[in-house]
Amino acid sequence: MATALPGKELAEALEAESRPRTLRTPLEGIVEAAAAQALTDDQYFRLVGQLWAMKRMYYYVYGAWGSSLTINQYPPSVDYLFAKQIYDESTHEMLYSQAILHKGWAKFQRSALRHPYCQFVSASGIGLYIFSMRGLASYAHSLRMAAIDLGPKVLELGWLERLAAASQDEYLQKLFASQVPETRSHVMMGRFMVERFVSQPVDVALCKELVSMARRDYITALHGIADFVLTPAVSPQRSASH
Amino acid sequence: MPTLRVDHAKCTECRMCYYACEEIGINAVYIDLEPRHRFEIDTHKCIYPTCVVCLMYCPAPGSIVEAETGRSLVPPPPDLWRDRSDKWLRDVILAAKEKP
Repeated sequence: MATALPGKELAEALEAESRPRTLRTPLEGIVEAAAAQALTDDQYFRLVGQLWAMKRMYYYVYGAWGSSLTINQYPPSVDYLFAKQIYDESTHEMLYSQAILHKGWAKFQRSALRHPYCQFVSASGIGLYIFSMRGLASYAHSLRMAAIDLGPKVLELGWLERLAAASQDEYLQKLFASQVPETRSHVMMGRFMVERFVSQPVDVALCKELVSMARRDYITALHGIADFVLTPAVSPQRSASH
Repeated sequence: MPTLRVDHAKCTECRMCYYACEEIGINAVYIDLEPRHRFEIDTHKCIYPTCVVCLMYCPAPGSIVEAETGRSLVPPPPDLWRDRSDKWLRDVILAAKEKP
């Protein structure tokens, strides 16, 4: 007998709401410049450095979320999928760090961590997004997973696919393309959580609100990254003006 | 010189080899850029048998082997255990830094 999925329609609606925005994220200028081979090596370093800084901060976000998960609060599949998502984000963080070393932009990880292009700046678009996500720690796990996986992750999937297709550098093309299946699985995890665990009216309302907020703050982070990459005079701090 | 490779049938992908290698600045362990993101060892960067730090940290028996002979190096066999002082570690790091 098929299991009823109380949040199936909501999950589809939330993902569908994010989907059109993937076609024109703030990183579109970077995608177009990459396709036109107009991105310099320095600009690629700025891009990868900032993406690395953002991925590193997911440890901070997920650490807070994980510490508020209670044993047996959810079925084991939920805990497993959350752990898998943390593992994947860690892989992506390592891939960016590896790219910086591989490209010779830094010789050691410790020197990369000190480089201005790779630093996390709290007063920046990325900072706003990360602190916003960290703030979701007090919400139910189903709601915060929906927020990140049906909002920012849908957008991330979109720009990752297009940037991979646009990159002329074979290494960077593989760097972005190889993250696509895992990012897609995170979107599916968001659907899984909403379909099964979001059914009460108050949760439905909160879920819509949080997805919208996470998407808005992620777009702010992407604006900051795009400004930093495409306008070399802009520092990560200045990019917070969005 | 003998080289190392990862036996993916036994590797648990725990990443200890990656972190240990990166910590001393050799960066020979890397993530393959195919979607399965498996760990591999760059034989051009790896300075085995001068350095055996990945073998010391690897928890999965048989997951790192000598490529030429197929000999399992996890847990490290007795011939790899030497007197490895701080000076040895400094030499390893210097050797990595001298590589282009």
